[in-house]
Amino acid sequence: MIKTIKNNETILFFIFIILCIFLSIYNPQFYSIQNINSILRSSSTVMIVAFGMTILLTSGEVDLSVGALMSFVTVIVMDVINITGSVVLGFIAVFLFCLFIGLINGFVRTILNVNSLIATLAMMLILQGSVYVYSMAAIYNTHLIPFFTFIGQGFVFKIPMPVIIMLFILPFFVLFLNFTRFGRYFTAIGSNSDAASLSGINNKKFKIIGFVTTSLLVGISGIILASLMDTGQQGSAKGFELIVIAAVLLGGTSFKGGSGTIVGTILGILILKVIDNGIILMGISQEFQLVVPGVILIIAVYFDNLRKAQDV
Amino acid sequence: MKIISIFLSLLITIIFSLSVQANPKRIGYIVNYGTHEWYQNVIFGLQSRADELGIEFEVMDANLDVNKQTQQAEDFMTKGVDVLIMTPVNEEGVVPILKKAKAEGMPVVLEGNPAKGMTTLFAICDYDAGYKAGDEVGRILVSRGVKEARVMDVGLPLLSATVLRSLGFMEAIATHVSATKVHELDGSGMIDSSVEVASAALAKDSNINVIYGINDGSALGGLQAWRASGLSEKDLIVAGTGAEGLAFLNELTKEGTPYLVEAAMFPEGVGYTGMNLAVDLFNGVDVPKHKVTPTLALTVNNYASYYDFDKAAQKRAINFANVAGIPTEDKCTKYAEDL
Repeated sequence: MIKTIKNNETILFFIFIILCIFLSIYNPQFYSIQNINSILRSSSTVMIVAFGMTILLTSGEVDLSVGALMSFVTVIVMDVINITGSVVLGFIAVFLFCLFIGLINGFVRTILNVNSLIATLAMMLILQGSVYVYSMAAIYNTHLIPFFTFIGQGFVFKIPMPVIIMLFILPFFVLFLNFTRFGRYFTAIGSNSDAASLSGINNKKFKIIGFVTTSLLVGISGIILASLMDTGQQGSAKGFELIVIAAVLLGGTSFKGGSGTIVGTILGILILKVIDNGIILMGISQEFQLVVPGVILIIAVYFDNLRKAQDV
Repeated sequence: MKIISIFLSLLITIIFSLSVQANPKRIGYIVNYGTHEWYQNVIFGLQSRADELGIEFEVMDANLDVNKQTQQAEDFMTKGVDVLIMTPVNEEGVVPILKKAKAEGMPVVLEGNPAKGMTTLFAICDYDAGYKAGDEVGRILVSRGVKEARVMDVGLPLLSATVLRSLGFMEAIATHVSATKVHELDGSGMIDSSVEVASAALAKDSNINVIYGINDGSALGGLQAWRASGLSEKDLIVAGTGAEGLAFLNELTKEGTPYLVEAAMFPEGVGYTGMNLAVDLFNGVDVPKHKVTPTLALTVNNYASYYDFDKAAQKRAINFANVAGIPTEDKCTKYAEDL
């Protein structure tokens, strides 16, 4: 199994390299610092949420509400900072809200025993509607606090801030999923929930932790997006959940749970984002940016099924 | 003698009552996407005029669902509104409603998009709105001594209305300076999508001096991508379209902003005009097939004539009288069929 996953990551790495070489030959602008920064900045918000989604999918669950939550977060953070003039209070409001949503998702899944696909689909609809109850109009940056704008638009040593934030979070998840007992519990729950339960793992607790972690990571990505847009915008991050899920599955995480790596997820996202970037560099119709994640989703699930069949 | 005077006064009363046209009592409006800022402001304009005329005004939101819109139209007909105003979810979906309304003698006014079998429509001219913005940007470029406009168009190529805006913008600039469309992007009309595609496009070629957005989200998305790329705003000009909500006012009034022009479509004015058109139709007045609503290139120098903007409270109030005074085309210079 480990060999299969490692092979999967190797294949993804080579696909990524081939794509980069092809695009660099087609348009040397591809490997310009500005373009690399553009790809990495765009990848960062997806990666941050995908770290949580990898854990969730590994444990056999999924969260479809991440895009709607992210949109809601942009509105909350901008509104609270506008009202209070405090970035810290804005962040606290966001994380409390995300914690609340993550807990609800977790409880509906584990206590009410509703399939996570349905539970989080319902949450997605609730969030999409209630954001307009919160505010009918977009919330614009009237606080003009430079630090807030810096989060999404700033650079440190020519590296975009969203990338730095992502790199700060990344090691925790790599270490957690690969080198800690708790991280391995998620894989065990996804592989065989009953066996994990019999061996003393509290499935419900870990699944709730998975939903809460994912929601909190959405909070971070939502803050970055609000800063980047300089606006709290209802309806933003449309289809974000599908891009995250497609990338995580492409990275080798099984839709049925039991396997998944952060490195695979990162490679999956980079491939998707390089393809997106290539579509613009090559002047191909941008509608393919929607088509690509859809096609990749099908291919990834197909290969996941093949891997599962090989394991059996 | 007394009988004659009674007869005459009765006759005068009848003639007078026939000549004075009554306002409709109830008007219903089915919006296609009520949560969008544009439509919230259209509704505000409709409601404002309805209040002035003492008309009971009711709104239903189809939320981009054509079946829901059909059902809502039937509900309004059953309720017996005097005039039905609709923003079609799509041009084909509204045709059966128009047929049924005609059979029942219900006057229908459309907003935004024309449809087969319609009586009248109130809408802006997309090409002309884009042209006015392009014309203003062209003037600014000339005043700066710039010989060439290198444009990043954050557009929506799938919609003919937005393609017309972009076309008008480019053709107007070309009357002032040489104009090159360096990037033609699909920002989906959303600020986050626009940031993403514009970032990639700017990485490909950032030799741009004009960003045009087919709506406010697209223009702001293009500008935010520019800022996130760390490029200088010194020689940049950004032009948006719509004046949908507060976004353009917030940016336009920032000190040193490159967001200099807004092709304002005055959604509140659209609503106000639409209510007048509905009343005229009810009263049997000869109405045009397409009532063009005002558009204008707004800048920081003239916006206050049309909008009272309270930045602290994040509120805007339209000056209906000044908007109504904007010279308006009898018909659009270009339509979708001209593309």
